[in-house]
Amino acid sequence: MTILTSWLTNALTLGLIEAAPLVLAAVGFTLIYYLNGFINVAYAENITLGAFFAVIFNSVLGLNFYLTIVPAALLSGVVSVLTYLLVFRPAMLRGVGPTEMIILSVGLSFFIRYGSRLVFGGDLYNFDNVSPAYYSFLGMGITSFQIVALILVGAITIALYFFIYRTSYGERMRALASNEDLALVSGIDPVRVSVLVWFIAGVAGGLAGVFYGVFSFVNTLLGWKLILIVMMVSIVGGIGNVRGALLASFGAGIITAGIALVASPLYGEIALLLLFIVVLRLKRARA
Amino acid sequence: MQEPKIQLSNVRKAYGGRTVVDVENLALGRHGIEGLIGPNGAGKSTLMSLITHKVNLDHGSIVFNAGTEGVVLSEWSLDEIARLGVVRTNQIIQDFESLSIVDSILLSLAPPRYEKLYSLFSDEQMQREMRPAVEEYLSYFQFSDPAGHALSAGEKKLLDIIRCLALKPKFLLMDEPTTGLHQDQTDRVLELIRRLTRDDGMSVLIIEHDLDVIWNACEHVHFMAEGQIMTQGSPAEIRGNSTVEIKYLGEPGA
Amino acid sequence: MGLPTYVFYSLSIILVYVSLATLLQMQFGQLGIVNFGIVGFWGLGLYGFGVLLLQYGVPYLPSLILATALATLAAFVLGWIILDLDSQSVLVATLAFATVVADLATTEKWLTEGIRGLGSIPYPLDLGGDSELGLFLIILVATCGVLFYAVRLRRAPYGRLLAGIRDNEVLARGIGKPTLRHKLIFFTVTSGAMGFFGALSASIQHFLVPTLVAPTVTFSVWIALIVGGRQSPLGGLIGVLATIAVFDFLIELFVPIPAGYAQYLPIVKLMLYGLTLMIVLLYRPLGILGARK
Repeated sequence: MTILTSWLTNALTLGLIEAAPLVLAAVGFTLIYYLNGFINVAYAENITLGAFFAVIFNSVLGLNFYLTIVPAALLSGVVSVLTYLLVFRPAMLRGVGPTEMIILSVGLSFFIRYGSRLVFGGDLYNFDNVSPAYYSFLGMGITSFQIVALILVGAITIALYFFIYRTSYGERMRALASNEDLALVSGIDPVRVSVLVWFIAGVAGGLAGVFYGVFSFVNTLLGWKLILIVMMVSIVGGIGNVRGALLASFGAGIITAGIALVASPLYGEIALLLLFIVVLRLKRARA
Repeated sequence: MQEPKIQLSNVRKAYGGRTVVDVENLALGRHGIEGLIGPNGAGKSTLMSLITHKVNLDHGSIVFNAGTEGVVLSEWSLDEIARLGVVRTNQIIQDFESLSIVDSILLSLAPPRYEKLYSLFSDEQMQREMRPAVEEYLSYFQFSDPAGHALSAGEKKLLDIIRCLALKPKFLLMDEPTTGLHQDQTDRVLELIRRLTRDDGMSVLIIEHDLDVIWNACEHVHFMAEGQIMTQGSPAEIRGNSTVEIKYLGEPGA
Repeated sequence: MGLPTYVFYSLSIILVYVSLATLLQMQFGQLGIVNFGIVGFWGLGLYGFGVLLLQYGVPYLPSLILATALATLAAFVLGWIILDLDSQSVLVATLAFATVVADLATTEKWLTEGIRGLGSIPYPLDLGGDSELGLFLIILVATCGVLFYAVRLRRAPYGRLLAGIRDNEVLARGIGKPTLRHKLIFFTVTSGAMGFFGALSASIQHFLVPTLVAPTVTFSVWIALIVGGRQSPLGGLIGVLATIAVFDFLIELFVPIPAGYAQYLPIVKLMLYGLTLMIVLLYRPLGILGARK
């Protein structure tokens, strides 16, 4: 194998593996953006808290890593619903515009992030007793966690796809996203549909946090470091477009991994961000 | 009859495969005030959007001042076309929400030399220069509170028309200008544009569903349906035309 | 002067924030551009200045001018790419730009010394014990200039034009205003001014490390402007006084905080910023100065 092809296969496999949590986060983020039409920066804290929930269950309660996934994800969903009911729904009822909603979500994000910083401090947390099994795949090492993450991503993406396009709730969500007044007239309860969507988005974000956390470490800045990439992936993928978010996430993962193999990971981020700006431009030019 | 001001040739526009405008040949501005009528969805507003390049053409050409020195409008942007003198009043109410009526008119009147990053102290001089024009509009059209904001839909509509007239257009496109106006306001608007076409050589194209306006004000009427110009002629000819009768005037509620 | 130097240090920082918030007031409040990349322009000025001065030995004033020019150029290129996009794309793209600047400050060690830090940066005027005062006065004059411009802008035809573009850009184009050109020019100049204040800030900081160009700067400025009132040219000033000045000046310098708790102050501060921002947006969306029409 030449150096180039080995770099290429490494970038592809690493990129796919590392993009798995990003897909989860992007899909959740894009659902909220699609439903309510604003960028929810506080989604970053949803990711962070998901990771912290899992770490707490793992190290304090001594639960096995796999057993922490479900409760951590459900709690993240609850947190997401709470942010909707306590902050965003009241703001929407008060007629706060889309740009102001983003700033509001920045405020909420600061509040939760530095609140949890007071609780958890600035330390790095790791999962206890974690010894994933290693497998070999196309010459790359892959851990059992990464396999689980990939499987979950696949399952959740397929489930969401069905949810949005094949179920009556998905239909109601799409109706609500396009025209709330019309949806109301046709007897759709916006709060119920919204709560469900925010819950699902929260679960997806929490899971993303859990896997980011177990791949490296957990601290209060975990979600904040990711949210920009999550936002860009969702916008480039097309708002509310699950498949677009999936493709853009994998693209982003592969580019970052490919560059990280040969240079500082920060160059991966730099390249990605510049590319995103250009893609935004091109999308507009085509429209 | 005069030379046409705007010449459209083979103009086509489709949205998602559905052809909205398909005009082979249309000369506008041969008469002072022309009307553009037709059923809903005929493509009238889209045609105006194509002329001012608010939306892109799929095909064809639109030439302004055809005959003398032609300007291909589709090569220019919306704001450049407005500066060339082709201006359109809006069908759906548009407003600068934070500007008072006076400020809104001043904004339209302001020449570029005053609108400079470094031009911080020019407002007094500009106001002095523009005040007579502003006063003229304000005394001609009565607003309840000129220093405040346009409140009613009718006031906003009038303000929109004034902003366009303040640009001293050579060709004015009016998209349902009288919707929401009282009869006396409508009369004043029509009176003013009649005067401007007569004295300043302005040409006007009006889209209107209130056909009394069309029959009263227009010297020439174009009838549009299904994206095409079906027929044109004097108001009397159009009223008596059988196609117009079948496709439009016979419509219930028209 | 009888005041200790750290007072001028704090006051200088507050003035820089006042300028940034006022520049943002013009960009967002007056023209409607959602610039979430403030720290990117400020940081380009900061690091551009430091690198020119220390790595290339360029004298103070030319470094200041060149660093400002660098930020201005970046603003022009970025603005040219993104300013006709929708506001949410502008938000994300400017945030991405600022992240790129912060990343470059870390990676380009040959220029910036990376996380080891670049120092030390001298004062613009060497006045011995009064050098801090000299820097403070220079920043004060510059800040007054920005405030004066913002106040005058409201009364100028140009300000009316910018408000028109903010309210309804398509309508403004329809009456013949080249809105994109105006947006690009104004964004370039005001963002360049953010870079200018970044270059001046280098002397306040003395020692440049990548953490200085963290997004917290951008968000602090936004919070200040929203709290103060985005519609008023003085909204940035009032907002900075109500947020940053209270914490970084009054509480930090004059409130006795037990030693064990001092480390929590910056964290509590950012948490309260977030809470304040939410309360203001929910209950007083136009800020402290918002009610005055």
